[in-house]
Amino acid sequence: MSVKKYWKAIEDLNEDSVVMNKLRNNEFVEEISTEKFLTDENLKNGSTSRRDFLKYVGFTTAVASLSACDGVVEKAIPYVVKPETITPGIADYYATSIADGHDFASVLVKNREGRPIKIEPNNQAKYFGTTNARIQASILELYDNNRLKFPQQSEFEISWHDADYEIKTALTNKSASGKQIVIVTSSMFSPSTDEVILKFKKKYPTAKHIVYDAVSNSGALNAFEDITGTRALPLYEFDKAKIVVSFGADFLGNWLGGGYEKGYSKGRSLGDEDKADDKAGNKGDAEMLQHYQIESVMSLTGANADFRYAVKPSEQTYALIKLYSLIVGGYDGVGNLKINNTVIDAEVRQMAKKLKSAGDNGLVVTGSNDKNMQILAMQINIALKSKAMNLNKHVHVNKGNDKDIQQLIIAMNSGKVGALLTYNVNMVYSLANSKEFVRGLDKVQLKISMSKFVDETAKLMDFNFPTPHSLESWGDAMPIDGEYALIQPTIKPLYNTRQFQDNLLKWAGVEVDYYSFLKKFWQKNILTKKEGATWNKSLYDGVFSVSTNGNANADYERGLLKINIAYVVKKAVRFWNKTKGTELELYVKLSMGNGVMANNPWLQELPDPITRTSWDNYLTISQKQARELGLKNWNEANGAMNGSLVKLTKGNKTVTVPVFIQPGQAYGSVGLALGYGRKVGVKSEMQTGVNAYKFYKNFAKYSSNIEIEKLEGEHKFACVQLHNTLMDRDIIRETTFDKYKNEDKENWNPTVTVKTEKGKKQVAEVDIWKSSNIEKEAVGHHFNLSIDLTKCTGCASCVVACNAENNVAVVGKEEVRNSRDMHWLRIDRYYSSDMTKDVADENGLSGIGGTAEMYDKMEIASNNPEVVFQPVMCQHCNHAPCETVCPVVATTHGKQGQNQMAYNRCVGTRYCANNCPYKVRRFNWFQYAENDEFDFNLNDDVGRMVLNPDVTVRSRGVMEKCSMCIQITQAGILKAKQEGRKLTDADIQPACASACSYNAIVFGDINQKSSAITKEFNSDRKYYLLEELGTQPNLMYQTKVRNK
Amino acid sequence: MSLFFVFSLLAYAEGDPNGGKRLFKQNCASCHRIDKRLIGPAMQGISNKRSKEWLQKWIKNSEKLIKSGDVDAIAIFEEYDKIPMPKYFGLSNNDIDDIMAYVDFKDTVEVESKNAVNTSNIKIKYTVNYHLLFIISVLVIVVISWVVLWFYKAKLPLYINVRFVYFTFIIVLIFISFYAFWQWTIQIDINTGYQPIQPIKFSHKVHSGTQAIDCQYCHSGSRTSKVSGIPSANVCMNCHNTVQEGTDTGKDEIAKIYKAIGYNPETNKYYENYNQKAIKWVRVHNLPDFVNYNHSQHINIGGLECQECHGAVEEMDELYQFSTLTMEWCVDCHRTKNIDVAGNKYYEEIHNNFKLKLEKKEISVEEMGGLECGKCHY
Repeated sequence: MSVKKYWKAIEDLNEDSVVMNKLRNNEFVEEISTEKFLTDENLKNGSTSRRDFLKYVGFTTAVASLSACDGVVEKAIPYVVKPETITPGIADYYATSIADGHDFASVLVKNREGRPIKIEPNNQAKYFGTTNARIQASILELYDNNRLKFPQQSEFEISWHDADYEIKTALTNKSASGKQIVIVTSSMFSPSTDEVILKFKKKYPTAKHIVYDAVSNSGALNAFEDITGTRALPLYEFDKAKIVVSFGADFLGNWLGGGYEKGYSKGRSLGDEDKADDKAGNKGDAEMLQHYQIESVMSLTGANADFRYAVKPSEQTYALIKLYSLIVGGYDGVGNLKINNTVIDAEVRQMAKKLKSAGDNGLVVTGSNDKNMQILAMQINIALKSKAMNLNKHVHVNKGNDKDIQQLIIAMNSGKVGALLTYNVNMVYSLANSKEFVRGLDKVQLKISMSKFVDETAKLMDFNFPTPHSLESWGDAMPIDGEYALIQPTIKPLYNTRQFQDNLLKWAGVEVDYYSFLKKFWQKNILTKKEGATWNKSLYDGVFSVSTNGNANADYERGLLKINIAYVVKKAVRFWNKTKGTELELYVKLSMGNGVMANNPWLQELPDPITRTSWDNYLTISQKQARELGLKNWNEANGAMNGSLVKLTKGNKTVTVPVFIQPGQAYGSVGLALGYGRKVGVKSEMQTGVNAYKFYKNFAKYSSNIEIEKLEGEHKFACVQLHNTLMDRDIIRETTFDKYKNEDKENWNPTVTVKTEKGKKQVAEVDIWKSSNIEKEAVGHHFNLSIDLTKCTGCASCVVACNAENNVAVVGKEEVRNSRDMHWLRIDRYYSSDMTKDVADENGLSGIGGTAEMYDKMEIASNNPEVVFQPVMCQHCNHAPCETVCPVVATTHGKQGQNQMAYNRCVGTRYCANNCPYKVRRFNWFQYAENDEFDFNLNDDVGRMVLNPDVTVRSRGVMEKCSMCIQITQAGILKAKQEGRKLTDADIQPACASACSYNAIVFGDINQKSSAITKEFNSDRKYYLLEELGTQPNLMYQTKVRNK
Repeated sequence: MSLFFVFSLLAYAEGDPNGGKRLFKQNCASCHRIDKRLIGPAMQGISNKRSKEWLQKWIKNSEKLIKSGDVDAIAIFEEYDKIPMPKYFGLSNNDIDDIMAYVDFKDTVEVESKNAVNTSNIKIKYTVNYHLLFIISVLVIVVISWVVLWFYKAKLPLYINVRFVYFTFIIVLIFISFYAFWQWTIQIDINTGYQPIQPIKFSHKVHSGTQAIDCQYCHSGSRTSKVSGIPSANVCMNCHNTVQEGTDTGKDEIAKIYKAIGYNPETNKYYENYNQKAIKWVRVHNLPDFVNYNHSQHINIGGLECQECHGAVEEMDELYQFSTLTMEWCVDCHRTKNIDVAGNKYYEEIHNNFKLKLEKKEISVEEMGGLECGKCHY
């Protein structure tokens, strides 16, 4: 495969300057015969002086530069030998998987001219066939210019051959002298890699493999081991649950390896897609998962729950014990602690009642990394005989063992470890006791780091070996028993890298490359499990599943008997015994994850769904506590947000961190995101936030006795959402499941009317526009997009997918502060407050003086607000206000319903943006590509390889906005034409819709009766954003339904 | 005569010569001619000479046939310097019948091409040199003003009506110069006739004209992709592994391909581990990046012939830009061309709607939205 830029081969001006080329060409065209010229005798007698000569030269240069207006000479460089599978201009798709130790997903990778440019979910995968924001963004990590490009020994380049020789000798010595050789990797659930490690251990008997997860799930793994005897995770299937009670488990975010999106979406589905024409009252059989969330930091999962209780971590423990005692029985009190009195006693009783009546449809989960908490939750599920917790199919995406890591540090410090090999882990950064680790590192003679970057850990190692990105590697995975996935390279390695497995094989003296090893391993051990399975077919599919009975017959009740619950409860409670003061929860953001992708500008700029803040982490604190401590958040005149700084202290560890006042944060608790504060191997712009791993002592997610001290000074946030309330506009529509099922549509989703002098009228009747051609001549396609607010969780993978598909520029923290972010698709987060206009009327707050007060009160969101996420992009109005004001007709309407933007025509008056009621237009204030001021991926040759060649890179002074992925619809239509068939939904899925793990975004042609969008179009829940303006958008929203 | 007629009818009944023509041009024409020997033998009368089964075996896998010890096969192989014929697994027996029908048919009648383009009718519009016009009019203005000024300064008698004539003349000239300037600047970067020197003296006239190789044999992307693509050197080598001497340029130019790809013409072998070099062609047709033009759409769906935009390439020794490639030029065509909806299921429903709502039978590109900005600019 070649990485040649066939399609855009502009020669460097320095190599072949315009003028030179022009002149050279003219010379040949004219065919001046120099022979004749030079032999001309008259020349010697000519009167051309030196001055004349210079004059002529000056003149011709001027003429040549004038004629350079004709444009540069471009070269077109074809392949010398074209690979058979590559046709310039046509995208190929490869099925593979992304496994970076923190996330796992089966994906399809879109390749153009040999460059992977986009990651899409592999819908064929039964599990993990969804892409979150980080998976979507990992394509940019491939083209990270900061990656380690060649093997290094103490910062100097070394050849693989020399390195292999040195390492083999050293390892043999260490092994012979009986010293430990320790391999530390992130979670790898690759059967073939296990085999490779076995081979390595065979050669070096003192070798030991330790799995380290920066964000640990040891608690759940150990709990499961205690119950079943296997160290794995149970398979949680949310679609099989009718009621879910979660104690701080962020299962839509980062809980236990993720991958629960599809199940949750299925469970939350209203089942109304099939009976769109039914009126209210016919939905009696519809069912919807009911979701309770008890948590301290507002998580994405909590924001989507039907009932959310802001409860600090210690109280969560008591509440879980309480729930346990109510469902399983016993343990009403432990020691001198009266569990009866939890802060949410009544609510827990209510939940217990509901869970009991739901029986095997109930599910209880907890996000704690405490084994005892996990045992309690799993016990409740076993007692309920929950169908949603599948104990027979084991999940292996997390394998880390906290105990092993602590023992390793002790062993290192006592000098027992002779060699340390790390792969894909950054322990110096992510260990709470990283100082002890670094001290121990001094006593290890052979230190080898295998990583994509020279990070904090790699910097302290003797050898740094670059490893390829997932998209450049071979590999396999078994995330779940019987469910296999393959990893295949989608591009030739960009740098001089070598896979971890290849390294181990080489050092183990196995003279075979990992690819052959993998293929042979599969043919021998895995493909034999199913008849007729072939390597090529599995590789083509990307996934391979075999039916396993699992451990269906295992009797877990017996395993449970061994567990002394009184002891478990005692231990769970003991953690909080000495608790006083504020409690801290360390959480993981959807954007940054555990911090391995800190150098990814897409993720840095992705606003957190809850706080709408990018480029930072911060201490989330409740309003009440902030007031007590005198902490503030305030907005500057231009709307940018600032916040107070505090000193956060736990024991002898302190950190200075800005505060973010978070509605819904449990009083008495604060939250801080892991994954920030990276310093080494990360560009200076992306060295954001503070390192919270400091407080991740013993991998405990929660800690207490936190001291917070206000400091002088302020912190500048890059927060993109200023409005905390709806400000009384009818932007969000929501209802309850009960109303939705039983009441008339007009009660919960009324038709929009406007007041006129002739009484109330429907919007369409008082239109100032003439009806557009689209409605009159429904000839061709008419594209519509529907966003289901019930299903949308605000996970933001659509935002990153849109960035990748449409070459959206990253603008940096300062410009985000200036409200100049370029995201075509934003996800507005609304809190619903207790104060509404009706309440205000009752309290006499309306009127001129009262209105301001009312809005003030509306802005103080209640302590535990309800949250709605609303993705907003260009609404593609049929009567678009932007189109009518453009002085140069750069934005126009297409017959297919798309509001089109001709960049080359735009002169940047920004009238359109001013006139857009949805504020979805984005202006290029600067040249974001090839500009050192914006040193992100568009500023280097490698980073630019991610660009989609079908979409123009916009330049300065140009307006841009969502195009409804017109490049995709056009390509889809052409495909249908060429194949001589009707257009199908699958041909034209825009980036946001195909990235949506929850099926919340549906796109299609409403003129085709069979398309999925037609059902949405006819749905009761449909409404338009600001319909009263009469803009007639082609984007519709589906009313949010809460199951309460 | 009647016997012959029956025979040709039979041949026709067995295969479709029109389909065969297309297949022949795509697959065979680079090595075979109907009437003369090229790399491979002339095709005239081949179906009389060999049995159908033999031909099918030979075309699909000649190597296998040779190895099986077939006398005819070995004889042919020896006669043509042991150059193996490529394997055409992709051709079905029906395809081969079509090709043979074409070969037989060509003996008697030339197959009519449906979309034959008479390129002689397409002429380059002669354009005024506005650049020169602008400079001349400005010069005249300057000269006249200077003369008038000189008269004025010298206090020479000037009749009023003469002055009026002077000023009218100057105002007209100013308008002309503005117009010329406008027209001149609007022409900037229109590179009609642009004919750069290419790194290899490749002649389309020889390949496309004399040898009648189908355009899409080399520019295969135009069938499937947005870009038609410049053939990679390995495509050149399909023929030039044996054609080592050009008709016009001798051995030198073809040797440049060998140098790029690493081929030794003396031993007919590729060098191993050769550091291949790119051939840096100068791009002739260059649309700006913000224009999305799709070749396959215009060729497959629009049914355009390459020559309609690129001119009579088969007559060009060195390629030049034939059309203006301006937006006006694109739009003109979109305004006038009708879409061929027949037989394409994609258009079925759309066409029906169209007939119902607009009471017209023909859909032009414009009516399908072909003039919308977003169809080409995104």
